[in-house]
Amino acid sequence: MAGGTEIEVKGLDFYYAGNVHALKKINLTVLRNSVTALIGPSGCGKTTLLRCFNRMHDLYPKNRYEGEILFQGDNILSAGTDLINLRSRIGMVFQKPTPFPMSIFDNIAYGLKLKGIKKRTDLSERIEKALRHAALWDEVRDKLNASAYDLSGGQQQRLVIARALAVNPEVLLFDEPTSALDPISTAKIEDLFEGLKRDITIIIVTHNMQQAARISDSTGFLMLGELIEFGHTDRIFTAPAEKLTEDYITGRFG
Amino acid sequence: MTREQRRKAEGGLALTLSTLAALMGLFWLVFILGDVLLHGVKSLNWSLFMNDPAPPGVEGGGLRNAFVGQLMITLSATLIGVPIGVLGGTFLAEYARGSRIARIISILSDIMVSVPSIVIGTFIYAILVKPAGHFNGWAGAVALSIIMIPVVLRTTEDMLSLVPWTVREAAFALGAPYYKVITQVVYRGAATGILTGILLSIARVSGETAPLLFTSFNNSFFSYNMNQPVASLTVTIFQYAMGPYDNWHEQAWAAAFVITIFILLLTIAGRLIIKWRYR
Repeated sequence: MAGGTEIEVKGLDFYYAGNVHALKKINLTVLRNSVTALIGPSGCGKTTLLRCFNRMHDLYPKNRYEGEILFQGDNILSAGTDLINLRSRIGMVFQKPTPFPMSIFDNIAYGLKLKGIKKRTDLSERIEKALRHAALWDEVRDKLNASAYDLSGGQQQRLVIARALAVNPEVLLFDEPTSALDPISTAKIEDLFEGLKRDITIIIVTHNMQQAARISDSTGFLMLGELIEFGHTDRIFTAPAEKLTEDYITGRFG
Repeated sequence: MTREQRRKAEGGLALTLSTLAALMGLFWLVFILGDVLLHGVKSLNWSLFMNDPAPPGVEGGGLRNAFVGQLMITLSATLIGVPIGVLGGTFLAEYARGSRIARIISILSDIMVSVPSIVIGTFIYAILVKPAGHFNGWAGAVALSIIMIPVVLRTTEDMLSLVPWTVREAAFALGAPYYKVITQVVYRGAATGILTGILLSIARVSGETAPLLFTSFNNSFFSYNMNQPVASLTVTIFQYAMGPYDNWHEQAWAAAFVITIFILLLTIAGRLIIKWRYR
C-alpha cells in the first residue's frame, strides 16, 4: 500500500506564454504506490498541473514555472534536470490514444530501444510482460506485427499504457485516459489501476467524479488555478471541508 | 413560365454550360495525348534506345544519348533537390513551427513554385554556365533541383503538419529527444505523403525544357560526362521538331511519347500511394 513521499509540490506557480497565470501556489504531496486524482471544472488547471510533473510544458516556448516539485527529494524544476531521464521515469498517457504509426510490437519496442534495449529476445520478453500488465496480451498475441491503427480505441489506449509501462517508470501520469472510450473499455482500464499501483505511483486527471471516487486514494480539487482542497478520497467525497468542493462534487456547478 | 419551370431551365442551362466547358478541356487533352500516342507508337523501335543519333540527314540512328542524359540529369537533380527539400520542410514544420521565419519561407516557396522555369534557367546560366565557359550537365541538374526544392519542401511541411501533435508529445513523454521523435515517429507517419510529393516533383521536372536549354543544352554524342553538355529528351524534342528532316520529326514524336508515358507512370504511382495510404 501507500508508502513514503514520492512527489512533493511546494508553492508551485505556472505561467503560460503571455503571462497567463495558470497555477497559483499549489502545495500537495503524492504518496508512493498510491493513486492521486485531480478533479475540477474545465480550465481549472488540473491538466496543466499534471503536465508539470514531466515538464511537458517545456515543449512550448515561454512557459514558466516558479516554486518546487520534489521528485524523490530532487527538484525537477531546476535548470539542470535531464528531461529525457525524467520522462523515462515519469511516463504519461494522454486523453486520446496515441499509437505510433507502426506495428503493435514496434510501438512498445520504441520506448525500450530509446533505453538501449535492442536484443530481439529481451524486447519480446519485455513486450509480452508489458502487454500482460496492460491486460492486452490475450487480444493481440497473434497479431503483434499488425498496425497499431487496426486496434479499437480501447485497445489502443491499453497499448499506449503498455508502451508507457514497458520502460519501467516509477510514476505514470494519466490525462483523462478514458474520456474518449466506451464504458466497457473504461472499466477494463480502471481495473488495471489496482494492480499497477503495486509497482508504480499514479496521478490521474479525470472529469468523471465517480471514477475518481472508485480508483483513487487521494483527491485534489482545483478551481481557477488554485488547489481548493486536497486529502483522502473518502473524506473529500463524504466530508469535504470546503464549501466549493462540496458544491462541485454534489453537482451544483461544473 | 412558372417559377418551377424557370428554376429547371436555369439548372439545365448551368449543367449544359459546365458540361461544355469540361468537354472543351477534355477535347484538347485527348487530342494532344492521342496525337502523341499515334505518332509516337508509329516511330517507336529498338534502334531508338540502342543507337546514338545518325549524322543529320542520314536515316536511322536513335536517341540513346538523350535517354541516358535525361536519366543522369533527373537523377542528379533528385539527389540534390530531395534532401534539401525534405530537410527544409522538416525545419519549417518542426523546429521553426509557427515562427515568422517559417511563414516567410513557406510563402516564398509558394512563389518559387510558380516562377517560370526559363527564369531559373537563365539564373543558373549566369552562375554556373558563364563562369565555367561552356554548357554542362551539372548546371542542368542544379536548375531542375531548384524547381524541385520548393515542391518537395512544401509537401514535406504539409505532410509533417498532418501528423497530430499528441503523437509527438507521446514520444517526448517516453523520453525521446526531438531528432528521434522526428526521424522515427513523425517521418513514419508522413512517409507516404512525402514520397508522393517527391514522385510528383520528379514528374514535374522531367518535362522541363527551358531550364535545360540554358544549362545542359544538348549533345549529339553519347557521354557520361556531366562537366560537358549533356543531351536530354526534352531539348532533343525541341531541336528535332524544329529541324528539317522527316526522321528527326519521327524520333521527336517517339521521344515525346516515351517521356509522356514516364510522367504518366510516375503520376499514377503517386496516386496509388495516396490511395493506399488513405484507404
